[in-house]
Amino acid sequence: MSTKQKIMLLPVCILALALLGPAPGLSQEKLQESPGGYHGEQDFPISWKRYYSYEEWTGIMHDLQDQYSHLADIQSIGTSRMGREQYLLTITARDTGPHQDKPAMWVDGAIHGNEVNGITCSLYLAWYLLTRYDYDEFVHDLVNSTTFYILPGLNVDANHSYVVHPNTPNNPRETYRPEDNDGDGLYDEDRTEDVDGDGELSYMYVEDPEGPLKLSPDGHLFVEVADDRERVRRFRSLGPEGFDNDGDGLINEDDIGGPDPNRNFPYGWNLDAGNPYPMSEPETRNVFEFQRAHDNIFASFHYHNTGRLIMMQAPPRATEEELTEARGEYGYYYRRRQMSYEDSLAFLRGKNKYAQLFEREVAPQYQHDMDVQTAIVTMGAQILKNYEPVIGGLSGQAHAATYYMLGAYAYLMELWGSPAFADIDEDGRVTNEEYLRWIDLELHGEGWIDPHPVQHPDLGEVWIGGSPTKHIRRTPPSRYVEMEAQKNADFVLFSASEFPEVTFHDIQVTPETGNLYWVDVELENDRLYPTISDREIQLGTAVMDRLIFRSSNNVELLPMPQEETRFDPVNPAASADGVGEARHEFRLRGKEIRTFRYLVEMSGSGGWVEFQVESKFGGNPSERVELRVSN
Amino acid sequence: MHTSRRWTRIRRPGSLTLALPALFLTTCLQALPAQEVPISFDDFHGFEGAVEYVREVADAYPEITELLEIGRSTMDRPIHVLVITNSATGTTLDRHVPLRNMRKEGVDNVPPMRSYQGKPGIWIDGGTHGNEYTGTEVTLYIIDKLVSGYGSDEAITRLVDENTFYICPMVNPDGVYNSVDRGISQRQNSMRRDDDGDGRVNEDGPDDMNGDGLITTFRYPDPEGRYVLSQEDPRIMVRLDRDEETDRQRYSLVREDSDEDGDGEWGEDPMRGIDVNRNFPEGWFTDDNSQGGSGAYAASSPESHAILEFFSTHRNILLVQSFHTSGGFTYRPFARWPDEEIPGPDLTVFDDLMGTKYKELVGEPDNADLWRHPYRDDRGRPYGFGIFIDWAYAQYGSYAMTTELWNWRRDTRGLPGYQGEEDRGAWYAALLAWENRPFDERIFVPWEPYDHEQLGEGEVGGWVSTYVGGNALPGASLRHVAETHWQFELYKAGLLPRLEIDSARAEVLYRSSSAARAQASSRGNTVTIRPQGGLGEYRVVKVTATIRNTGPLATHRTQGDDLAGNREDAIWLLGDRDRVKFLQGRAWQELGVLAGTLDVYEEGANQRAVSWLVAVEGEPSLKLVLTSQKGGTKVRELSVR
Repeated sequence: MSTKQKIMLLPVCILALALLGPAPGLSQEKLQESPGGYHGEQDFPISWKRYYSYEEWTGIMHDLQDQYSHLADIQSIGTSRMGREQYLLTITARDTGPHQDKPAMWVDGAIHGNEVNGITCSLYLAWYLLTRYDYDEFVHDLVNSTTFYILPGLNVDANHSYVVHPNTPNNPRETYRPEDNDGDGLYDEDRTEDVDGDGELSYMYVEDPEGPLKLSPDGHLFVEVADDRERVRRFRSLGPEGFDNDGDGLINEDDIGGPDPNRNFPYGWNLDAGNPYPMSEPETRNVFEFQRAHDNIFASFHYHNTGRLIMMQAPPRATEEELTEARGEYGYYYRRRQMSYEDSLAFLRGKNKYAQLFEREVAPQYQHDMDVQTAIVTMGAQILKNYEPVIGGLSGQAHAATYYMLGAYAYLMELWGSPAFADIDEDGRVTNEEYLRWIDLELHGEGWIDPHPVQHPDLGEVWIGGSPTKHIRRTPPSRYVEMEAQKNADFVLFSASEFPEVTFHDIQVTPETGNLYWVDVELENDRLYPTISDREIQLGTAVMDRLIFRSSNNVELLPMPQEETRFDPVNPAASADGVGEARHEFRLRGKEIRTFRYLVEMSGSGGWVEFQVESKFGGNPSERVELRVSN
Repeated sequence: MHTSRRWTRIRRPGSLTLALPALFLTTCLQALPAQEVPISFDDFHGFEGAVEYVREVADAYPEITELLEIGRSTMDRPIHVLVITNSATGTTLDRHVPLRNMRKEGVDNVPPMRSYQGKPGIWIDGGTHGNEYTGTEVTLYIIDKLVSGYGSDEAITRLVDENTFYICPMVNPDGVYNSVDRGISQRQNSMRRDDDGDGRVNEDGPDDMNGDGLITTFRYPDPEGRYVLSQEDPRIMVRLDRDEETDRQRYSLVREDSDEDGDGEWGEDPMRGIDVNRNFPEGWFTDDNSQGGSGAYAASSPESHAILEFFSTHRNILLVQSFHTSGGFTYRPFARWPDEEIPGPDLTVFDDLMGTKYKELVGEPDNADLWRHPYRDDRGRPYGFGIFIDWAYAQYGSYAMTTELWNWRRDTRGLPGYQGEEDRGAWYAALLAWENRPFDERIFVPWEPYDHEQLGEGEVGGWVSTYVGGNALPGASLRHVAETHWQFELYKAGLLPRLEIDSARAEVLYRSSSAARAQASSRGNTVTIRPQGGLGEYRVVKVTATIRNTGPLATHRTQGDDLAGNREDAIWLLGDRDRVKFLQGRAWQELGVLAGTLDVYEEGANQRAVSWLVAVEGEPSLKLVLTSQKGGTKVRELSVR
């Protein structure tokens, strides 16, 4: 180092580091204080102990958007078969940028008409984000940096009917395309009805001397006749309440509802399940077309009932050829697991009871997606406490299309499961007796329909009852609605907070000889999700991240070849991921730091170098480093 | 799967034309005027002309036609289907079965069926590929024949009375409009898509460089070119074979196009979108590549979406004919799979029955090239994915085929100087010399020098693609092509099933005029019967009927009833619900699939015998409703004797 050009090494480094401050500052005013844990709930008072009809929940959405118009937009993404608008909320802070320029989380609920728990969970998430924005730093940052597209009710016609009108827990599930279920030439002609007009759809029983059932001693339900010799009034089951609408002697044999909307998506579609053709239902087509038009969607949640499952979309199983190729010259190097699956899982669970491991082996180009999904659902299991992560299916399901066709991480949540509450003998099933016991104890009897005789115009005297009411088995009773919503919102928020973010971890300037300097740039993504999913890369639709070098006129970037040797502890350039170009294309995985090394020549005593990141999902930070030679 | 068992002899369906005296004909049929809407085939109709024609036909023949709009293209043009059938005949099941005690909230998601859905259906389309508008012309020709012949031609009248014709002249109206009305050949549909990623949509497509109002070609000397000048006439460009050597000057030909957006490329972001005939769900390319010329997903294009939705809600279609160009032959399924995937009886219907007739109508009964399937047997791989007729056969359950119309050598008529020679040059020469052409438009633009920005000096001119580009020559040639295929459609329509309920009887087995209800209770071996209210007139009636299909084809293709959305044939016995009680047999009975009269079906499989035992109070009327998706719906009133 010549004494004439004493480079102020330390101050330059300090200068560089000092510039690596916190992310661009919050553009909102300072947050409000939250005395006594108050986080804005009363700014928009609402009950989370009930279900809402179509008019009510869309009204709430409009009111939310109206009150928080600086954070939310509302639109209809299309109409349903019966002409209802599918309303969607776009939530993000307007001041920090337009919604399409930020990574987005898609949330939809109740694609199955009867699984209306998803409506309250989605609506709760929207309410949570909007009311807490001014009070909660975590929510504040999230809404500033991320976009949320929330569609509480997807199958709006069936959703509305399920909430408002008497229904069994199983229907209406599908969209309202006419379908001839019994092959008699008529469409949807024999539906369930509330025969006794009590506002509930229960089950019908008729007296039958050969029947297998009898009334239980307490008169609450029908039980099997254990002893054949017992002299007791016998019954047989007729199925759900209804009339014989078409006079063919059968009841409820052709209820409303066409194809399963969650088999109607194009990935893995087949005729039997997804008929008549992919995206035939306006409700599902509107959703997929919206997702296709918003390529900033990074991950998606789809709400269903029931079962307490986190169904994640995982990369495809590796074929034998792919595994053989991966092993390649390393022999069995690629088979990472030395222990058996069961032992590995037991080992992990020893340290973390929520640890997850999946048996699926994927090709190397998908390994990161597999790891990321495993990590996310591990946290999900921890947040939700009694949900089980599993790998989701294909066959035309919405979340398969989201991951496999659009490259966005997708989760299907099976909300609520009454066994957690009611399965006393832990055999995995809940019998009617167990339901009754739980209802008596925790719901004080509310939620049960006692059997009672009724005159039926087609059948004579029938008994109706002996079953739980609508919101028990599949959807939670109203008092548990908020509990499901809160936990699930937490999981969505966690995932959104793990969306990738590219930051400058470090910039080091090291003088070489003369006026040459090495500049080492470390970019970091310290979130769980990568900046681009493996799937999107494999689809060929990925827009790679870019690192662009700029400098003052007197600073020149010298071209350097990338070193061929893999391990060279002496030559620092050999360990960089990218060397010496004005534009680098790369992808940052989750929790990854990448180094880029530049050799610059500066003439004169002062200049600057600037680095600009362009990452579609990870942000566009930039840093400028001033170089000053002091004498 | 099924063995490809072939029958060597097929009993042909009986002749359609009865030998009735002419006098009897004119007195018992309506004397409708023959052709209310004149039509000429001396030029192509294009989009505007075709829409105008079907609208005029619908206005002129309200009793036998109805114009439907089944969707709209990307550029908001209507996709029309003209329904041709006698609107006074035909019925559907839903108007006969009363429903009671329906849900209070009354969700009206099931629209009432139209009477034309209660008859066997045949679908004919053209213009799926925009530059294959010969197909559109043929559909218009067929429409003209049907509506003009109704009432005067006995065979046509019967077919239109008993069946439903769904005719779609332009599946892809944007493509036809661009190809004919604008003269820019476009096979695909139109799409708003930024093909070159420059942020602008559809900014650089073909355009008229020399301002003559036509999009022709630009030829330029090119050592790598595939064209040479014809020896006979230097105006004509002759394409060399792949490895052919020559020492003549080579040329390349490109379509008239300039770099409209100044980005150094030309024609890189035209209006054209995807190939609609790769956008159907059978064997659609669901693999990892979700981009491409077959659409983002099956059914993504508005054109295929409209067709799929129409078929899904009109399940009475048993025959499907799609018109394309060119080549002069017909494809039956599959393009995607080998023949092992088609059950033997269906192969027999396709090849031995329809194929034989087709070849005979074309005039070359021994030419095996005329009747094919697209799958590449020699290479063991599909011809394409997501093809319409594959879907219409495999998932919808119809006998579907694509005809590639127009073989220039075989089908040219009335071209002076051309006698059917193999030499294309002779044909071109005859065309150039053709003075009294039926159409006014130019077919050839003389070559004029032009300096192309990118390609240098050359000439603009050549054939106008509208007329010389794979479509039939308007005039006698086009009429000949249309007539041949009209005859084929007429033949196929005659194969449709014809269901009838015959020998239906209601026979009283027991009668009482003072019947009463009773209740029985048993104790040990003693049964006590307690009479209750009176019923009045009371009969136990045995209802029997024979159902027969006198048409050649069955009411479904093999296993077609198993497909989602399809069902077996069924028959209902209907009467006043409160006064008719079923003692034996349910209100409706399944009939399986009624076979046809062809030899390929089992003996007797085209008929069924059904019976019921009912208890009838008073004098209610009974009726039988036979309901078959593709066989039609028939009603028979019963008098109880």
